[in-house]
Amino acid sequence: MDMSFSTKEYFVRETYKSIRRNGFMSFASISTVAVSLLVLGMFLLIFLNTNNLAKYLESQVQISVYMLDEADNEELESVGKRLSEMEGVEKVTFISKDEALEKFRERLGDQQQLLDSLGSDNPFPNYFDVQVDSPERIQQLTPQISELPQVETAKFGQEVVENLFQLTRILRFGGIMLVVFLSMATLFIISNTIRLTVFARRKEVVIMKYVGATDWFIRWPFLLEGMTLGFFGAIVAALLINIIYSGLQTKIYATLAFLPLLPAYPLLTYVSFFLLVAGTGIGALGSYISLRKFLRV
Amino acid sequence: MLLMSNVSKIYPGGSTALQDVNIHIEPGEFVFVVGPSGAGKSTFIKMLFREVIPTTGSIFVNGIDILKLQEKEIPYMRRQLGIIFQDYRLLPDRTVYENVAFAMQVIEAPHRKIKRRVMNVLELVGLRNRCNSYPNELSGGEQQRIAIARAIVNDPLLVIADEPTGNLDPETSWDIMEIFKEINASGTTIVMATHDKEIVDAMGKRVIAIEKGRIVRDEKNGVYGYEL
Repeated sequence: MDMSFSTKEYFVRETYKSIRRNGFMSFASISTVAVSLLVLGMFLLIFLNTNNLAKYLESQVQISVYMLDEADNEELESVGKRLSEMEGVEKVTFISKDEALEKFRERLGDQQQLLDSLGSDNPFPNYFDVQVDSPERIQQLTPQISELPQVETAKFGQEVVENLFQLTRILRFGGIMLVVFLSMATLFIISNTIRLTVFARRKEVVIMKYVGATDWFIRWPFLLEGMTLGFFGAIVAALLINIIYSGLQTKIYATLAFLPLLPAYPLLTYVSFFLLVAGTGIGALGSYISLRKFLRV
Repeated sequence: MLLMSNVSKIYPGGSTALQDVNIHIEPGEFVFVVGPSGAGKSTFIKMLFREVIPTTGSIFVNGIDILKLQEKEIPYMRRQLGIIFQDYRLLPDRTVYENVAFAMQVIEAPHRKIKRRVMNVLELVGLRNRCNSYPNELSGGEQQRIAIARAIVNDPLLVIADEPTGNLDPETSWDIMEIFKEINASGTTIVMATHDKEIVDAMGKRVIAIEKGRIVRDEKNGVYGYEL
């Protein structure tokens, strides 16, 4: 819509005046938008991270083949040979009990006293690391490998991946339900705020109609008010999301270093942008609902 | 300027407000619409700016069939009109200046033009020095003068006034009529519904009398014609 400068200035002034006049309701609207979008944003981040984790595990192309302790060197060698002859296998690495213990000791770092309680026992089995050429191959090879003599089990991340995908499905469903519910609540409170505004200005609206204001000229200040409330709510939510995620990430890196979290940026930039668009959109929609119902222009 | 032909209005529920009204008003005329309360004056006036849509008939304002306009064209039709009410309808939280400027902002007039034009019409109605006052600081007559200023600020071709002096004492009413005379003298057509016998009789303008929804009299240099 093409508007002269003085018209835009007029709209901005009217919007500002109205938000101030509705002080408490404006505050309530902004807070509701902020809470709703905060929850929405958190869900988005959890969802994206779970998805990412599942994809990461799925892309692993490694099978661990754990051997029984009674297998002798000859048997180990024969299994190793048969593994490397299988189709799709790219690399087979043998890790002995001693090496496995040593690896674990390294991972423990300065907490090696945990191992002291084991005394001279070595609980780790001999095992093979089998690298295959694709994630699909894993499904096909693992049962075959389990059948080899003296193999205790052959494992890969499959179970974890399936559980994670199940979790993402639940998160997606629950998230959508929650977001729908919160959006409705937000729409409701914004349209109520705008209804108050329309009511406070009904005389003005009537006069505007008599002097020949177009419907859009009458609607704009109300729409802008809703959009502004949504936008400010979104800013609050975006700020909180940024602070929470960055803080959480530092904590997780310090304690659960193996968990592959998505890096904060650009992820948070996208999520924040999404929240701003969603907030402004919800604000516009809330006003529009109210205008249709209460402002028959 | 204004042409009504075979206009009737039957409200839902069956009450007939106007029946077979035919009227032709020339540009620059000053026309009083008189009649007892409930005779259909109000319906008549409201039809002129499409607040009420007749059941049958057609209405031309300035050559445009206003009943054939689309919803979105109505605001542009109203910009050619100036509408004045008995109860002034000013915005209490705005100054005199803002109340008048409002009508120009709404039709998106440029900033510079607004200031000059508003001060000019406030001068015309004699309230230039009160431009920063609020409506509740003014007398009824002064408030009606602001409403008139607002109605004419966009240079309407036709001014429609619904009992503009209904809330005012006789002396103040005459001040208001002086302003209407001046507006009419500059070529603007005026249609005014009124109960003010003294004014109608003294002005000697065209009088249209409505009774029970019908035009019973239409005279040049007419009189009020009803006993109070």
